[in-house]
Amino acid sequence: MKLVRVAGPAVLLLMTLMPFWVSAQEMRPRSILVLDQSELVGPFYYGIFSGLRAVVAANAGAHTTLYSENLDLSRFKGPAYEQSLRRHLLEKYRDRQIGVIVAVGVATLDLVLRWREELWPGIPVVFAMVDEIDYARLKLPPDVTGGIVRVGLAESIAAARAVVPNLKTIALVGDPWDRQVIFRNWKDEVATAAAGLDVVEIIGLRMVEIRSKVAELPDDSAIIYSAVYSNGEGAFYPPATALSFIAEKANRPIVVGAETFLAPGGVGGSVLVPAVIGADAARTALRILDGVSPSSIPPVAGGVRPIFNWEQMQRWKVGAASLPTGSEIRFREPGLWEKYRWQSITAVAILLLQAALITILLHERNRRRDAEIESRQRMSELAHVNRQTTAGELSSSIAHELNQPMGSILTNAETAELILCSNTPDLDELREILAEIRRDDLRANEIIRRMRSFVKQSPFEAREIDLNATIREVFEFLSGQASARNVTLELQTSAEPLRVKADPVQLQQVILNLIINGMDALADVPDGRSVIGRTEANGGTSALISISDSGPGIPAEKLNRIFDPFFTTKEQGMGIGLCIARTIVAAHHGRIWAENQTAGGAVFRLTLPLSAH
Amino acid sequence: MPQTVYVVDDDASFRTAIERRLKKAGYEVATYPSAQDLLDRLPDDHEPGCILLDVQMPGLSGPELQNSLSKLNSTLPIVFLTGHADTRTTVRTIKAGADDFLTKPVSSEDLLKAIERALRCHEAARSRRLKLDVTRARIAAFTPRERQVFELIVRGKINKQIAHELGTTERTIKAHRQQVMEKAEVQSLAELVSIAEHLGVLASTAKAGDSG
Repeated sequence: MKLVRVAGPAVLLLMTLMPFWVSAQEMRPRSILVLDQSELVGPFYYGIFSGLRAVVAANAGAHTTLYSENLDLSRFKGPAYEQSLRRHLLEKYRDRQIGVIVAVGVATLDLVLRWREELWPGIPVVFAMVDEIDYARLKLPPDVTGGIVRVGLAESIAAARAVVPNLKTIALVGDPWDRQVIFRNWKDEVATAAAGLDVVEIIGLRMVEIRSKVAELPDDSAIIYSAVYSNGEGAFYPPATALSFIAEKANRPIVVGAETFLAPGGVGGSVLVPAVIGADAARTALRILDGVSPSSIPPVAGGVRPIFNWEQMQRWKVGAASLPTGSEIRFREPGLWEKYRWQSITAVAILLLQAALITILLHERNRRRDAEIESRQRMSELAHVNRQTTAGELSSSIAHELNQPMGSILTNAETAELILCSNTPDLDELREILAEIRRDDLRANEIIRRMRSFVKQSPFEAREIDLNATIREVFEFLSGQASARNVTLELQTSAEPLRVKADPVQLQQVILNLIINGMDALADVPDGRSVIGRTEANGGTSALISISDSGPGIPAEKLNRIFDPFFTTKEQGMGIGLCIARTIVAAHHGRIWAENQTAGGAVFRLTLPLSAH
Repeated sequence: MPQTVYVVDDDASFRTAIERRLKKAGYEVATYPSAQDLLDRLPDDHEPGCILLDVQMPGLSGPELQNSLSKLNSTLPIVFLTGHADTRTTVRTIKAGADDFLTKPVSSEDLLKAIERALRCHEAARSRRLKLDVTRARIAAFTPRERQVFELIVRGKINKQIAHELGTTERTIKAHRQQVMEKAEVQSLAELVSIAEHLGVLASTAKAGDSG
C-alpha cells in the first residue's frame, strides 16, 4: 500500500518532466561509441560487434553513427597503457558528439567509469557482457545501464555432468584467473561449485604442457575451458584458436562458456552468445538515443544459452535427452531424413503408392484369373448344353445313319437263317453275310462312339492337334445330316498339317455350329445346296478356316449382330450357337467373323494361332 | 412271269443285303445307288415289278423321284424304306401314291408282305391299263363323224338333238349310233358312258360344249 502511495506522485512528476525529455532527445547526437576490451581479431568480440551493428543498421528511424575502439585489454595492461589510451581517446574524440557509450566487458566499463568525468561528462553508458558478480561489485551510477551475463562455473559444471553422467573429475583449463577477462570470477567459485569433485587445474601453463596434460585425463572427467590467450612463449591468439589446439589432444569432452568455442572443439555448455549480447546492447543504446532516460532502463540479464555441439556429442556419446532442457544443438549433420525430407516423403509416398498399386494389380490379376477359370467353366457348360441341343437336332439324322447298318444287319441275319434252313446251305454265302454283319456292326459302333464323344462334357483342355484332322471328323460326323438335307458337304484342307493348341471337342463344336448354320441357311434354296469348308495356313503364324454356304447370305444390317447372345434369324434357334462359337474361338486367342461372298452365300471365317515349333 | 424289285438306296451294304434276301424270296432284283440312276435306266413298267425306295439320299431324294415317276405316268408301285420316318414325309409320300412306308431295320416278313402287296397292286393296275388300252383302240377306230356322235350320245343327247346339232337327219344319226355301239363293243348306253368316263372324254367334251 505504501508503495502505491509513493508510485502515484512519482508518475505525476514524470509526466510534468516530459517536455524536457523531448528537448533533451532532440539535442542528443545520434552517435554511439563502442569500446570493447578486445582487439577485434577474435570471433567472440567480432560477434558482439556484428550483432550490435546489425541492430543499429536495421533501425529505420534515423541514421546513427557508429564509432568503435578496441582496447585490447586482455593483452595490454597497466597504468601507463591506460593513460595512453585515455589520451588517445581524448584527442581522437575531442570534437565528436557522442550520444551513448557502449562498454563491452567489465574491464572496459571500469575504464569508462573512471574516465567519464573527463572524457564524456553526462553521456549515458550502456555496458554489455558484465558478469553479475562484477555488476554487484561496481555500484553503478543511475545513467549507466546494460546487459548482465551469468557465466558461472556452476553452470559449466552442470553442463559437464550432462555430458559425463558419472562425473568425478573436472579439469580447469585457462590462463591465470587474474589475466582473464570474462571468466576470472571462476577463481573464487571453484571451492563451492566443484564440491565433491576432483579438480585438476591446468591454469597458466604453456600450450605444450596444456596439450600433454589434457591428453591424459582420467575417465569420468570433463575439461572446463575458460580462455587461453597465448602459448606462454610470446605468441598470442584468440581463445577460440587456443581451444582448437587443446581440443586436438584432449581425451575428454571440453565444456565451454562461449558460443565461439563450440566450433573449435567444445562439446557445449551454458555459453555466451556474442550476437545476442551485442544486439541487446544496441537496442538499449538506441532507446537512450530515442530519448528514454537510462536510469529508467534496468539492467537486463541475457545472452547466455545452453548450446551443444552435435559432432562432439557424437564423439563422446552424449544423447540429446541428457542435455539441460531447452538446449540448442549446433552442427548437427542433418540426416538423410532432415536433409531430403520432402524428397524422402515423396519417394516413400511413391513407393507406398507403387506397392499399393502392385498389390491391387496382383489382386486384380488373381480375380481376373479366377474369373477366367470361372468363365471357361461356364463356357464349357454352356457349350455342353449347346452340344446336347445340337445332338437333339441331329438325332433324326443320327437315327437314320445308325439304322442303315442296323437294317443291313437284320436283313443279313434273316437271310442267313433262311440259308441255314435249306438242305444244302451255301457256306460261302454265309461267310460273306457274316463278314458284312461284322462290318455293319463296327460301323454302327463308330457312329455311337462319335456321338458319345460329341455329347460328353469335358473340361477345357487345350493340346496340340492337327486342325485338318479335327475338322475332318466334324464333316464326316455331319455327312449323314447333310445327305438327309440334300446338301453337298465338302472339305478342302491345306496340303500341310495345321498344328494348333486347342481343345478339339470345343473346336469341333464351333465348326459343327457353323456347318449346321450353313445347312439351315439352305432350307429354302432349291438347288446347288452346298456347304464348303476350307483350311489354309495364313502367313505362317495362324490358320484360317472358312465355312461357306450357297444360301441367301446374311442381311448386311445383321452381320455384326449375329454373334450376340440370343440373336437369331431362325424360327427354332436359341441364338447361342454363334455366341458360343465366338467365346470358344476367343478362348483360343483366335478371331471369328462373318462376311457375304460376292458370288452369294455367307462365309464364316476364323483364325487360330499356329503353335510354334 | 418274273417279278422285279428295283432297289434304290445309297447305302451299298444295305443294297447288297436286301438284294440277297429278295433273290432268296424269288424276285429279280435291280439295284440303283441313287434316284438319278433309276431315272437314267428307267424300268419298263409293263413288266411286273415295284420300287423299294430310300427316302434320304444325296442328290435326288426318294419323294422327289416319286414325283418324277408320277410325271412320267409310271405305274410302278413304290415302297418307301427309311432310316428315320418323320410324319410329314410319310404323309406326303402316301398322299402322292406310295404303296407302303417302312422303317429300317425292317423284318423280312414285313418287307416281303409289303412287296407282295405292291406287286399285286401293280398287277391290277397293269390289267386296268390293258383294258383301257383295248377300249382306247376301239374308240380310235371311230370315223370323225362317229366320234362326234359318240361324244354327244354320252352327254345324254337324243338323236333328234344330235341331228339338229350336226345339221343332218335323225335317220343318219341312228345309223352312226349303231356303228358306234358296234365298234365300242357295248350293248347299252350305260356301258358306252362308262367307257367315255374312263377315257376322260366327258371332261374334255364338257369343256368343249360349254365354250361352243
